[in-house]
Amino acid sequence: MDLIPQYIFNGLVVGSSYALIAVGLTAIFGLMEIANFAHGQFYMLGAFFAYTLTRLLGLDFWTGLVGSVMGVMIVGVVLERTLFRILRGASLSSSVLATIALSIFLENLALNVWGPRPQKIPTPFETGSIAFAGVFTTPERLLMLAVTVVIVILLHVGLRHTQTGKAIRATFQQREAAALVGIDIDRLYTLTFAIGAGVAGLAGVLLGTIFVVQPAMGGIATLKAFIVVTLGGISSFAGGIAGGLLLGLAESFGAIISPAYKDAVGFILVMLVLLYKPDGLFGKRS
Amino acid sequence: MKSRVSLPSWLALSVTALILLVLPRLIGTDYYLHIAIISLVFVILATSLDILVGYSGLLSLCHTAFFAFGAYAAALLFLHFQMSLWLTMFAGGVFAASIAWLLGLLVLSVRGHRFIITTVIFAEIGRLIAYNWTDLTQGQIGLSGIRPPVFDLPGLPRIDFSSREAYYYLALVVTTTCVTIIWRITHSPIGWRMLALRENEALAEASGVDTRRIATTAFVSSAFFAGLAGAVYAHYTGFVSPDLFYFTYTTTMLIMVFLGGKGTIIGPVMGAVLFTILPEALRVTANYRLMTFSAILLVLVVFAPEGLVGLFARIRRRFAGQGSVQDA
Repeated sequence: MDLIPQYIFNGLVVGSSYALIAVGLTAIFGLMEIANFAHGQFYMLGAFFAYTLTRLLGLDFWTGLVGSVMGVMIVGVVLERTLFRILRGASLSSSVLATIALSIFLENLALNVWGPRPQKIPTPFETGSIAFAGVFTTPERLLMLAVTVVIVILLHVGLRHTQTGKAIRATFQQREAAALVGIDIDRLYTLTFAIGAGVAGLAGVLLGTIFVVQPAMGGIATLKAFIVVTLGGISSFAGGIAGGLLLGLAESFGAIISPAYKDAVGFILVMLVLLYKPDGLFGKRS
Repeated sequence: MKSRVSLPSWLALSVTALILLVLPRLIGTDYYLHIAIISLVFVILATSLDILVGYSGLLSLCHTAFFAFGAYAAALLFLHFQMSLWLTMFAGGVFAASIAWLLGLLVLSVRGHRFIITTVIFAEIGRLIAYNWTDLTQGQIGLSGIRPPVFDLPGLPRIDFSSREAYYYLALVVTTTCVTIIWRITHSPIGWRMLALRENEALAEASGVDTRRIATTAFVSSAFFAGLAGAVYAHYTGFVSPDLFYFTYTTTMLIMVFLGGKGTIIGPVMGAVLFTILPEALRVTANYRLMTFSAILLVLVVFAPEGLVGLFARIRRRFAGQGSVQDA
């Protein structure tokens, strides 16, 4: 019983990374109606860029963090301008298949560039572990949580109170009408892709200081992100965040019951949600 | 849609049949025969997936799970009860179909991206069960020692299918039978209802098609053939492991369906053969194999979404000088 706060804390740390990946997936789906099966690869690329910049090129962590997030954003923008522009308006199955192919391509590209061995991003912190209120943790984990909170607030403020945010929300609701009133859809798509990819990449960098970095992490992240958006309701910003945290917590507690089936907890949750609330916990009826 | 097969088609069919029958004599070596057998298994998988993806418009990403469930059922029945392929083939199919029916109760109420995502998740649950239920499945070690069958009826010659060549003919007969049945299903009133479901579900419903029932039929029958293919595979390789649940297999099957031409049966057959041979041929590029593979897929999905069948039709139209666009 004493360990319950610890489980909650661990769940929140992992859950916040899920939330960061899911936010971009949600935004891309809501705006462009493309289920991007390669989204987790942005997370993987972010981690490997940071690994290259810090461990291989010897830059300090913070420079590496900024550099790799910008790198992933550039990759996102290039992909949006090329592949995703062609896929716009394609059938659901074509876009799903194309993004699956892109996902396999990026994973194997990473495999060839960085090799299959798990790597680690050097931590910027001196202290090993911190204890408070019965919870043992590390500064890297606290950083993960803090960054997630900041990103969520920034995205919320950006969506609610800026001109661009309003334009994004308008496009979410009615694409054609938004274009009619003079919203530059192309610019919004590029911006959304850049932010979505960047935030996923950021999650990769931060989690890379806690766990290991390897090419296969992208595919798993995509799967988890899809679970999250199905839980929270696809194309719902709040749903993505809440779904991420919920999945993190559920996995953390699932590990108490059976470590082997930890990953199954999320899957079973999704099945239940689909059974009783097919639009997700926070989704609107479509 | 033609109801009768034309003369050139008959010729093509006869020539293909002849080549398939003498193939072991033509290619000889065990390695090529192995590829031929694996191609045949994938032909069943791709055509059965076509029932769902091509005809019914349901993009399922868990086809390999039904394949794996069939393979595990066959392996367990052989190892515990010494059942031969003649029985495990049907048992594997029925087991996969029953699971599909149960899963269908849940997932067939949703469409679009939710259906797609749930099927991915389901395949992953299957893998976790195969991986973790070690008492039954031996986890990652997998189950081995599944033997090919022996044909032994009184008064008839005894045939042992443990040689590659014999197993090739066995797989050829099973595959041909499956493809024929699948062709018959998709070209029957049931198949027409599947097309109605694909084209416009609301309209189909309004015209008196029980769409839920037809979706279930498509899901269950597609799983049956995948499970059967699983049994044929298990008795051939003699080994099953949780890796059979990997998403890569589903991707491979989808590539075969889409690149051959979905909703055509002949397309997935060609796709299955081509995409069993091509990755083998690409082995020369070693590490870059999957990269090349996915790049080809990407280019074809974007530039030839109607697959090889559509591409051939387009080329033929160009040579015939017909300008009009027409559906296959």
